[in-house]
Amino acid sequence: MLRWSLMLAAVGLLAWGCSKDKPETDPNPKTAPEQPADSTLNLDALVADTLSADSLARLEAERLEAERARLEEMINRIMLDDVYFDYDRSELTEKAKVLLAQVAEILINENRFVVIIEGHTDARGTEDYNISLGARRSMAVREFLIAYGVDGRRLVPVSYGKERPKVQGTDESAYSMNRRAHFRVTIE
Amino acid sequence: MPAQGGHDNVTMNKIKLLFVMLAWAVAMPAMAAIDTIAVDVGISVFKLMPIGIVPFEEEGKIKWTNEAPHLILKRDANLSGRFEAVPSDKFDLVLFSKKRARQYVSGTATKLSNGKIKLDCYLYAAETKDVLLGESYTVKPHEVRQAVHAFFDKVVYRLFGERGVASTKLAYVSKIDGVKQVVISDYDGFSRRQITRDSSINMMPVWQKDNKGLVYVNFRHNRPNLYAISFGGKETPLFTQFSQTFSPAVNPKTGELLFSVTDNGKTEIYRGDMKKGSAQKFLHLKSNQVSPSWSPFASEVLFTSDRGGSPQVYAVGNDGTDVRRITYMGHYNERASWSPEGDRIVYTSMDDGKMNIYTCALDGTDITQLTSNAGNNEHPTWSPDGKLIAFASDRGGNYQIYIMRKDGSGVTRITNGAENTSPTWSWFFGEKKFK
Repeated sequence: MLRWSLMLAAVGLLAWGCSKDKPETDPNPKTAPEQPADSTLNLDALVADTLSADSLARLEAERLEAERARLEEMINRIMLDDVYFDYDRSELTEKAKVLLAQVAEILINENRFVVIIEGHTDARGTEDYNISLGARRSMAVREFLIAYGVDGRRLVPVSYGKERPKVQGTDESAYSMNRRAHFRVTIE
Repeated sequence: MPAQGGHDNVTMNKIKLLFVMLAWAVAMPAMAAIDTIAVDVGISVFKLMPIGIVPFEEEGKIKWTNEAPHLILKRDANLSGRFEAVPSDKFDLVLFSKKRARQYVSGTATKLSNGKIKLDCYLYAAETKDVLLGESYTVKPHEVRQAVHAFFDKVVYRLFGERGVASTKLAYVSKIDGVKQVVISDYDGFSRRQITRDSSINMMPVWQKDNKGLVYVNFRHNRPNLYAISFGGKETPLFTQFSQTFSPAVNPKTGELLFSVTDNGKTEIYRGDMKKGSAQKFLHLKSNQVSPSWSPFASEVLFTSDRGGSPQVYAVGNDGTDVRRITYMGHYNERASWSPEGDRIVYTSMDDGKMNIYTCALDGTDITQLTSNAGNNEHPTWSPDGKLIAFASDRGGNYQIYIMRKDGSGVTRITNGAENTSPTWSWFFGEKKFK
């Protein structure tokens, strides 16, 4: 839980910072390469610069995309912590609510995130019933986040039933890890 | 624990188990030779009709693609839920009398110059050697199996006045390169063919009316969605107005679909027209509903609801009114399906984390446990004649498809290899024409 709080704080700041960065361009001008002493090189750079006015724009777009992907990967890594449920239940446990409150804080502060909330079940029971159970779990998480103030349009619930277990096995230790809601975050 | 069959049933199950184990031991060597099939003779509470099986006379050296015709007939007889095969190397009236086989099947096989094989198949009265039925098929070597199945169905019709299932098929889910794919095969596990290719998850196959194709669930959009697929591989997304759809059930009379829709965390059953794409809510209940199943004449529908706090089976009229609860024993009764004969329901029940298959009368009474002490047993599906139930079990280590008689006897494994689950039996096929 402590890990969560610290990392969330870190990412919160980072995400916040990045979104403000967005309109800025690279602080190093393109005409000033690493070795300014060589004049011929400068000339070449100048030629290259005039030739690639829109390749600059492309570079900038690529940089933004890389930034977006990096942030997306980071937020997904942090939100690797899943919300766990009791057997055949979709009510949130007290532990789950603490975790979700922290998730809600990030989401409220960073409005570019779209969160897919996957509901999963353990291997016991039928495929059909488990899809409906997973759906109830994803919805319980979604409703909590909405009640906390997150915009519901950014929270997409889906159910995988028992099709995507996190841990293989047929004992309670595996089952308890598979009864979960998992977040998949994308950044618009 | 739904062991409500009483002492008789428990004893029965023990005897059955003993037989299953014995039969497995006996069947093992045969299995290795034939590669997919394990046969357990078992004992049936229904009376089985003994039938003599005699090898065909062969004219010209014939190399059979997988099995000689009399072995196919023997398997069809033992799987049918109607017969008990009495195999004999030659016509043997003494043996047939002892075993009460009043009829026997045999024939001649002729290798033709064009590479085809001519099969003359006969059903005889044992005592008089009168021909009761004769059929002739001229087929390519790989079609022999289909031709013999077709003949066996004629034998069933001649002796019972009912259609047999030897020419029917199964659709099921097979793990191929780690991905759940939909496949079809003959009802005995032979002639397997992969139908889906998508690399996400493919599951819950059911047969369209007249076996024109399948309806199944796919996760390519990271959520469960229904698709129709032809056997040529042509796919059509179904009911795209809903974000999550699953649990399809085809109306045997009209072809329309019942299926589950998940919206806002609630799962409800809708009724839809596959061609038009339109669908309406079928049930107006506060509870979640999954696993719809039509009665044989589509006048009623079974489904599972958690309205009582745990999944239980309910029945409702085909207009969505008059809901009544069927199952009361145990805390998890799911995936009910109505026998084509009309008088019983088969369903999966979970107790202590283990799944087992039960049948009951239409009012929920007369509960009979069909599987026990053999891993998980689930996803039962009736043969179209109602004599057999196919299901998935992990009794042998990993999940495979098995067939048993409707009383739980004669359990026979029909698949092997990587995990095979979720079988659905086809409808009857029209008579096959061999060119």
